[in-house]
Amino acid sequence: MMLARFADSLYWIGRYVERAEHVARLADIMLTATLDRAETAAQVARIALSAVGEATPEKIASPFESARALALDRLEGNSVVSSLALARENARQVRDQITSETWERLNLVHLRLAGDGASKSFNDGSSAFLHDIIADLHLFKGAADATMSHGEGWRFLLLGAHLERAQLIGRLLEVCFGRGGEPLDHPTLTAVLRMSCALEPYLRVYTADVRAQPILEFLLLNAEFPRSIRFCTDEIEAHLSTLSRHAEAVHAGPGRLAGRLKARLQYADMAEIERDGSHVFLEGVLAECGDIHRGVYDAFVAYPLEMRLPA
Amino acid sequence: MECGVATAQRAKEIDRAMAQAAAAKPPYDEMYAPDGSVRPHFAVMARRLAELGPGELDERQRTLERFFLLQGITFTVYGAESTTERIIPTDLLPRIIPADEWAQIEAGLTQRLQALNLFLADIYGERMILKDGVVPRELVLGAPSYRREMQGLYVPHQAYANVCGSDLIRQEDGAYAVLEDNLRVPSGVSYMLANREASKRTFPGTFRLAGVRQIDRYPDLLLSTLRSMAEWRPNPQVVVLTPGVYNSAYYEHAYLARLMGAPLVEGRDLVVHDNMVYMRTTTGLRRIDVIYRRVDDDFIDPLTFRRDSSLGVPGLFNAYRAGTVVMCNAPGTGVADDKAVYAYVPEIIRYYLGEEPILPNIETFLCREPSELSHVLANLDKLVVKAVGASGGYGMLIGPHATAAQREEFAQAIKADPENYIAQPTIQLSTAPCLIDGEVDTRHVDLRPFILSGEKITVTPGALTRVALRKGSLVVNSSQGGGSKDTWVLAEPGVSPS
Repeated sequence: MMLARFADSLYWIGRYVERAEHVARLADIMLTATLDRAETAAQVARIALSAVGEATPEKIASPFESARALALDRLEGNSVVSSLALARENARQVRDQITSETWERLNLVHLRLAGDGASKSFNDGSSAFLHDIIADLHLFKGAADATMSHGEGWRFLLLGAHLERAQLIGRLLEVCFGRGGEPLDHPTLTAVLRMSCALEPYLRVYTADVRAQPILEFLLLNAEFPRSIRFCTDEIEAHLSTLSRHAEAVHAGPGRLAGRLKARLQYADMAEIERDGSHVFLEGVLAECGDIHRGVYDAFVAYPLEMRLPA
Repeated sequence: MECGVATAQRAKEIDRAMAQAAAAKPPYDEMYAPDGSVRPHFAVMARRLAELGPGELDERQRTLERFFLLQGITFTVYGAESTTERIIPTDLLPRIIPADEWAQIEAGLTQRLQALNLFLADIYGERMILKDGVVPRELVLGAPSYRREMQGLYVPHQAYANVCGSDLIRQEDGAYAVLEDNLRVPSGVSYMLANREASKRTFPGTFRLAGVRQIDRYPDLLLSTLRSMAEWRPNPQVVVLTPGVYNSAYYEHAYLARLMGAPLVEGRDLVVHDNMVYMRTTTGLRRIDVIYRRVDDDFIDPLTFRRDSSLGVPGLFNAYRAGTVVMCNAPGTGVADDKAVYAYVPEIIRYYLGEEPILPNIETFLCREPSELSHVLANLDKLVVKAVGASGGYGMLIGPHATAAQREEFAQAIKADPENYIAQPTIQLSTAPCLIDGEVDTRHVDLRPFILSGEKITVTPGALTRVALRKGSLVVNSSQGGGSKDTWVLAEPGVSPS
């Protein structure tokens, strides 16, 4: 049992931190790709920008400025600085629910990004800057894991993180392999693996055979890789089933949705997915993630009062 | 924003005039006796300071500021263009209070709060003190902070002001005096605790040697005080009610909630149904018993008090009246810390307790009393005159630094509405060593100890020492350039500090 507003804030901290990490990584990979052939660089920029926002020809043509906006532009809703400001704002709301160690990590990375020195640090070494931000966010997650009680609040934090991650990876796959997509060249496919932080784990399973179909299979259905949608769904389902334990039958909504999605990914067959078109499958998965998000709200946060008043 | 600028300017003028008035008589220094020798209770600290190089102190100051920023120990500053968070300026060098002085402060504050709680119980009950003519009836019943809604309500242990933060100053002769009682929603206790963490890190050896009494049980004592207000419930659910993350004291609300293990709720988290108060949780509604509210009276319930309040909980006051929930502090305590009632506190102590006040007031003249009015008018050039209901420097005259015309203007205003004015001699604040731009220099300080009252009254052996950071200034408020520092209350020599 915890205050509904706290659950809401912790859930959003999870989401925003995950989003910030993903966007920082995409910005970094977009910048690294500028060292490649021009066509590859443009392709990677298009994918990165479409996966988290809008890819206009101007933005694709100026990857440094675009990466900078993704990292530091406060007017950009999905930028790292915006996400982390919101994560910290939520953390301030639940300052008494998270440990000082966890708070400190988040506050530190927020201060680093929102401070006056951020712009200069980015100019001096954008890749190192982004790399440090990602490392700081890993420290945040580590501090939360190592110092917070693994109770309800922690579960809402992780529920948010995994749902966000599933949706971010889903969106990335949709951009790369969705409706009307063109085949991607080898360096671009490698960049896609890097964007999901999946290159090394992928190579250990599939060796250096970098092709679209196994990448899709890995990021959709792998049971062990923490950024595959299947893995995220397993986590979402596990957290929701624990969270619903104390809830009445009416709260079972999001748990049931998550269980169904988990089963679908667990028993999916890649050949079948390919036959029906992978975009159809991806769209279905993303739609169900959206339903789970709404279900969480209806069950735990924004429930109608008249149903919960004491008799 | 013109109004704001005018207020700030006026406040500065007032500050300057008060500082000039105070400069006429040398202040009491906390560390040095008039002959230049170090007072005995500061000896350990003086030795340590002599060992440290100035660069070293500066370095420690920066470490401290970083610690505060990292912990988010900040207050919110509302500007015209943007809202920012700042750390409260904290001074490294602790102010030290010897055991015998503290014994007087502790006894005096306990006595005072006891009397003020009895006063509140009386004026919201039988009103004996008004019937006996000790305090003028219209002064109490006409005060805006008097809450008629509280009339006849049962308050457990007659503890109306569960948390009180009184401001003490030290006059030039070294005697402590009460400048103000804060019985509404006093703040600053988190800075007392944070300053202690900081000074322990900065002067670990000196801290041990000096024999400083512990203050870290405050959250614990606060929780048991709050729980003692709902004794009829076996395991009362306590919550902290905050106006929200944009309130300048939000850090403190979150800090206390965390250290007490009580949920930090906002008005929107609470629901009143059938005169019971519930909070919205992930598993439905859960009953609450005690609300440590950090929201002003006016805003706690739009149905009873200000209708435009969105911070409060509709129906909360009725639930309180029905006795299903306790609010701490009780609504309506403000009437006892009013500027005009303040002058009667010594009488209030004598009336209820039959004792002489242990801590004196600042001498205060009430213009409503004809004899005092004539004294005030005859001595306008020596006194500070304040309008009872005003703040921020409006309606204030600093006699020694006003022009004859200003004094004449004020005299007319006082004669037209004498009940609205009080007068006090110009006050002096003691000085203490502070680290200013890397050098040790002296600044004026006051003292805010925190007193808890529930089943019993406890004074935490420590305080927030507020510092006027501008040289010569007497303004210690954090909103106007004030800072704070740790306060070491020493144990009796030979007694282990606890």
